[in-house]
Amino acid sequence: MPSLLDVRVGWYLARRQLKRASLWTTGLIVFVMTLTFLDLVVVTGLLVGIVAGITNLYRVQVTGDVLVSTPDTKNYIDHSQEIISFIKTLPQVQDLSARYVTGGTIEANYLTAVDPNEKPDETGASIVGVDPAAENTFSGLASDIGEGSYLAPGDYDEVLIGSELIDRYSFGKLPGLTPLTNVYPGTKILLTVNGQTREVTVKGIIVTTANSPLSEEVFMPAAELSELMGRTDYNVNEVAIRLKPGEDAAAFRDLLVRSGVSQYATVQTFEEGIPNGVAEITSTFAEIGNAISSVGLVVASITIFIVIFVNAVTRRKFIGILKGIGISAQAIEISYMFQSFFYAAIGSGIGLLIIYGFLVPYFSAHPIVLPISNAIIVAPVGETFLRIALLVVATVIAGFIPARMIVRKNTLDSILGRE
Amino acid sequence: MSMTIIDVQNLVKTFRSGAIETRVLKGIDLAVPKGEWLSIMGRSGAGKSTLMYQMSLLDDPTSGKILIEGREVHGMSEREKMNFRLFKFGYVFQDYALLPELTALENVVVPLLMENLAHAQAQARAGDALTKVGLGERFHNLPSQLSGGEQQRVSIARAIAESPDILFADEPTANLDRESSLVVMDIFRDLHREGQTIIMVTHEEEYGALADRRVRLDDGRIISDERLKNAHGNAASI
Repeated sequence: MPSLLDVRVGWYLARRQLKRASLWTTGLIVFVMTLTFLDLVVVTGLLVGIVAGITNLYRVQVTGDVLVSTPDTKNYIDHSQEIISFIKTLPQVQDLSARYVTGGTIEANYLTAVDPNEKPDETGASIVGVDPAAENTFSGLASDIGEGSYLAPGDYDEVLIGSELIDRYSFGKLPGLTPLTNVYPGTKILLTVNGQTREVTVKGIIVTTANSPLSEEVFMPAAELSELMGRTDYNVNEVAIRLKPGEDAAAFRDLLVRSGVSQYATVQTFEEGIPNGVAEITSTFAEIGNAISSVGLVVASITIFIVIFVNAVTRRKFIGILKGIGISAQAIEISYMFQSFFYAAIGSGIGLLIIYGFLVPYFSAHPIVLPISNAIIVAPVGETFLRIALLVVATVIAGFIPARMIVRKNTLDSILGRE
Repeated sequence: MSMTIIDVQNLVKTFRSGAIETRVLKGIDLAVPKGEWLSIMGRSGAGKSTLMYQMSLLDDPTSGKILIEGREVHGMSEREKMNFRLFKFGYVFQDYALLPELTALENVVVPLLMENLAHAQAQARAGDALTKVGLGERFHNLPSQLSGGEQQRVSIARAIAESPDILFADEPTANLDRESSLVVMDIFRDLHREGQTIIMVTHEEEYGALADRRVRLDDGRIISDERLKNAHGNAASI
């Protein structure tokens, strides 16, 4: 068992060896450590960030921070207008959007169909009725209009249509989803809701990532949809609430529950409100990231092992001399462990600066646009420090083993360079 | 009569390389009194360095006994041997054996730290030792910035800083020019005057003759053991 004295002498030797080591060699090892650390954190962070991008899309575009939605036992939220009025009085609320949501079908090219037996160019869609101005304030929907224009106050019989519902944008044909062809701004389509069919004009096309919930929805003015749905009581299907910065979603949810909103509606934070599969995908991606990162950890360990081994082999004579003049084997081993620790700590430190000083803020502001989501880098501080600890432990062990192999050789053989 | 500080009895050392066995020391008996300067001489391959390595606990004999201050060293643990080397012995190697990334002062400080001296105390003692060997101005030079003679003096300073009971020197002048060799021998002579026990392996007659006593080895055996005329006494043949 090494003593404090061994640690002290080991530290003395390590400090001086590092201080006078080749700058290039030290720089190269630290560079490898930095890359390994980035690999450990960024790979997992990016994979989780892809899913976080999807989750974030739901929060920004659909749920807000807290979602009040139709309970399983009803088709709408009873006392919707009272609930909305109450929520608007709460100081935590920044803005909200009340929506009618129902299933329906849309059909295109019905005027040009020549064969009555031909399958209609038709698909199912989620039809959402909104106050265009309130929805735009809430979700910035107008900025997602890729073709045509956004709904204006007073628009009637005009809709916005998600890009996944249109053949030329569709990422891939999903079961039950047959995108419409030849649909452009100005194209007339048939919208069927609740057994009622109405001819509407496509005013704009919502172009966003394939996994955006908006990409499979049709938006129209709330008053018009409620009329189609036969909903004359102004009871909506969901109220998405955005809180002011710094407000706690769970605490606000609890406030609504305590206020009795949950008697008429389901109240959830955005994490609870997103589809169930997203959480599973997040943990799956995190595990894949961990598996990939662990390869990086092994590579870093091997690198340090080789570096320390070569260093110890070339310094075998000096290790022998140290033992010869009475320096303990433990002190010599500890000096190599300190050197390994130094490489890992400096590499991780530089990696931390790169991650939190550049990568995380940069990709938060400029997400990587991927077909399935706008990915960011997710690097929770706690997990990052856990990875630093992992890297340091692996590196120190990788430094200790070769040092011990050389230190245990016969002292005189080491001094004389005998095998 | 001086107390025997190291006593070697019927010491045998054999090296094996595959099926080939080479007996390098063939039953050496040698007692060294405290304060004596002993030179071990002989031609190359005679076994003189091997004998010194056994006596200084850098290697283990095949058979025979070594007693240091009456204590048999056979069966000592590595840690005990390390402590012996640290606290009781000082070493001067032919090729100086300095750590290249440590300055002259730091090279001398390391074993003193291992003795659990405070850093300031270790530095002060290392400084004294370097001054004693005439390197008062070269504390902060790396070995690569020193001449061979200066490096050997750092090596001597490292060995004597701990005030060892025995100073072992293996061919201390073999890599040095005559001028540097004489400086090293002067240092040895001064140390010896202060009562330092020195066991020195050399093949150079001139320097071997400076000791109190000269032992000659050939083919693993002592062939002569002479007391010499030196600063302390008269020439004598044993």
